[in-house]
Amino acid sequence: MNVILEVRGLSKRFGGLTAVHNLDFDVREGEILGMIGPNGAGKSTTFNLIAGTYPATAGDVRYAGERLLGLPPHRIAARGVMRTFQHNRPFAGMRVVDNVLVGAHTRFRRRLWSIVLGGAREEEMRQRERALELVRFVGLGEQANADVGTLSFGQGRLLEIARALAGEPRLILLDEPAAGLTPAECARLADIIRGIAARGIAVLLIEHDMHFLLPLAHRVVALNFGAKIADGPPAAVRAHRAVMDAYLGSHAPAQ
Amino acid sequence: MIKGATAFIVLAGAAFFMGDYHNDVYRKLLLWITLALGYNFLFGICGQVAFSHFAFYGIGAYSIVIFLFQFHLPFPVAVLCGIALCVFFALAVAIPSTRLEGFYLALATLALGQLFIVVLNEGGAVTGGTGGIANYRLPEIFGFQLRGPWYTAVIALLVVATYLVLVRLDRSWFGRACRAVRDNPEAAAAMGVNVARTKVIAFTLTSALAGVAGMVYAFVDNTVNPPIFGIDNAFLLLFMVIVGGAGRHAGAVIGATLLFLLPFWLSPLVGHHQALVFGVLVVLAILLQPAGLVGIYDRVVRR
Amino acid sequence: MQDFFELAVGAAASGCIYGLIGLAYLLVLRPTGIINFAVGEWAMLGAFGGYVLLTTYEWPYPLGMAVALAFVFLVGWATERIVVRPLVEKGAPLLAPILALLGMVVVYRETISAIFPPDPMPVPYAFGMGRLELGPIAGTYQSFFTIGVTLAVFIATWLFFERTVAGKAFEAVALHRRAAALMGINLSRVMALSFGAGAVVAGLGGLLVAPNTSAHYLMGVPLAIQGFTALVIGGVGRVAGPLLGGLLLALAEQLTVRYAPIPSGYAQGMPLALLMVFLLLRPTGLLRARS
Repeated sequence: MNVILEVRGLSKRFGGLTAVHNLDFDVREGEILGMIGPNGAGKSTTFNLIAGTYPATAGDVRYAGERLLGLPPHRIAARGVMRTFQHNRPFAGMRVVDNVLVGAHTRFRRRLWSIVLGGAREEEMRQRERALELVRFVGLGEQANADVGTLSFGQGRLLEIARALAGEPRLILLDEPAAGLTPAECARLADIIRGIAARGIAVLLIEHDMHFLLPLAHRVVALNFGAKIADGPPAAVRAHRAVMDAYLGSHAPAQ
Repeated sequence: MIKGATAFIVLAGAAFFMGDYHNDVYRKLLLWITLALGYNFLFGICGQVAFSHFAFYGIGAYSIVIFLFQFHLPFPVAVLCGIALCVFFALAVAIPSTRLEGFYLALATLALGQLFIVVLNEGGAVTGGTGGIANYRLPEIFGFQLRGPWYTAVIALLVVATYLVLVRLDRSWFGRACRAVRDNPEAAAAMGVNVARTKVIAFTLTSALAGVAGMVYAFVDNTVNPPIFGIDNAFLLLFMVIVGGAGRHAGAVIGATLLFLLPFWLSPLVGHHQALVFGVLVVLAILLQPAGLVGIYDRVVRR
Repeated sequence: MQDFFELAVGAAASGCIYGLIGLAYLLVLRPTGIINFAVGEWAMLGAFGGYVLLTTYEWPYPLGMAVALAFVFLVGWATERIVVRPLVEKGAPLLAPILALLGMVVVYRETISAIFPPDPMPVPYAFGMGRLELGPIAGTYQSFFTIGVTLAVFIATWLFFERTVAGKAFEAVALHRRAAALMGINLSRVMALSFGAGAVVAGLGGLLVAPNTSAHYLMGVPLAIQGFTALVIGGVGRVAGPLLGGLLLALAEQLTVRYAPIPSGYAQGMPLALLMVFLLLRPTGLLRARS
């Protein structure tokens, strides 16, 4: 499989605090790469660096061979790197399907003058159809025309994913999508994520919950204090001494 | 399109059943609705607080008069030059002010509104100074002089066209991007929306629409003078949209109609201090009914 | 050169006024995140307080000044209680109190216009009309009084934020509301006080500028624009920011009026021009916050 994202020597300092330190990893097409680590390990910061929300202090991020660092977030999204947020960020007062259509923003070709003259109807219908498909794909078909404020928390998590998929990404960044979900919802979510990878989309997945992540991920990168401490197949990473220390505390008795 | 044509026929037709006085009131009401619709797109839908909408109305009005009667440009050229002027000033203010989060646009446009009045007062022969410019007449178009209810029909066309343009934009990717920028700029950017550019386009577009409305206004009273375009009216426009229900086209129409007609009933009670009533009304609306009058209507209907 | 020094003293006095209005913005902005356009109207209220107490009732200057400032403090405090607090407690978006305060701009202004005639009202100088000459530096008593009072206010504000526990509480609220609440800081008192203090500082600006401009119900909006421009030029990160910005703005205005071949009214364009330049070139302002 082709490498879609190469991260090399990525670092981020906030004042005196090093949030991410000299990080290297790759993501391949159609792969689910899990990223684990305790709170404050630098996982979300890494996401924000790749997505362009924060400027990096040092390092290089290449997506399909092109440098991403230094591009603003909307240009990175336009190139096919879409993300979800750790906390739901729906666009209030809009319907579910319209929220997903915001995700498709970069896929529209019609210009403003064409809209004003009424010439953009066909494109709007086509994109709406596609958005509805994605809404059904994440299992929100019944709520497609409901106001986004009526969704439950778990449905909101799924909407975030549908919205990101609408941008036709080749790489999708999911920030703790399972946080706060019921076990039944987690199982559905796992199926959806597998479905995304099956479409050839690379998935970079931050997850706290090892029980959710390990059976799902093809490969896992473990972070602690902003640095990579392990990288490999899920079982190997779980058995890694440094990972056990990071999760259980270094004074925990060896099992 | 059929709905639009019907609305135009009804709005324009009504003018032919009114006397001169009511025609004048009706024309001004339609112009306020036009301005409120545009301002609602900028403030209610795109979330930008600006106080220049009325200044652009004034730029449109003054520029058509100056280009036609001082520079003697042909009518279509004068219209295009007026629009170009609005677009130029809108870009000059919006590009620096929208680069950052916060209320820079509000202050910059407040300053622009103040400066516009200064320029009108100090502009000498070009702007006519404090007295403004008067005693001109709409040129004949195809040998036809539009007057009376026929000119009211032109204003009805302006309202309907403005409404159609804004509704079409609102229901497109652009309108969704504007709402996304208003609700959560960071998430909007992650969806590929160029936040600053969206704001600049929304501001420039609505400013140009205000300019066009101003050009139509210039031939309503056949006089333009500085007090008409003061900062008070910019506040009034904001209040109309808030009281009616920000973000909703119907809210803009309701708010503009109510606050425009209110002084006619209020003046026997409060004299010329209606602005105080408006101020209190808008503070109460924000405290007690943030969705505006259209929000009350929604609640009643749903019940 | 004499001419320039004369101009510089006048500009410094105007700059101090803009700095005070900018500081009034900052005092509300820091703990609450609210940009309060009503500061210009608070200045107007301070000026009218001066007109009523000092001109009409001819109270001694210090007493009239103290009572006028106490009055604007109450106005600021009550505004927070009645208009801002309910929205913050309801969890309304930040835009809601900002818009409500815009509504209050009109309420203050129209109330004054309903009570007083629409003419400019005279307000006396603190020490009469005299001129002070210190070598080459010369100006009116009022200019030197304005500069002295403003410096005292800025030093006091700086000491308050840097050296007192209460000042740290304000800072803490600015940084993180929830954490501040957990630390036992009384959020609601901090908010009410920040509005009261903002009103006092703005009202002082109005009282000091009124002898030159007269008290007028429309004086608020230009001051609100100039004060905000001062804040943008100087930067919101430090207490001294608005003062530095105000001085630069006033100097630029006075130089334009004196030396540029354009009608003096166009000096009102200076805030807009500087605002645009700074937003384009140095959006953080001249003074950056210490991290």
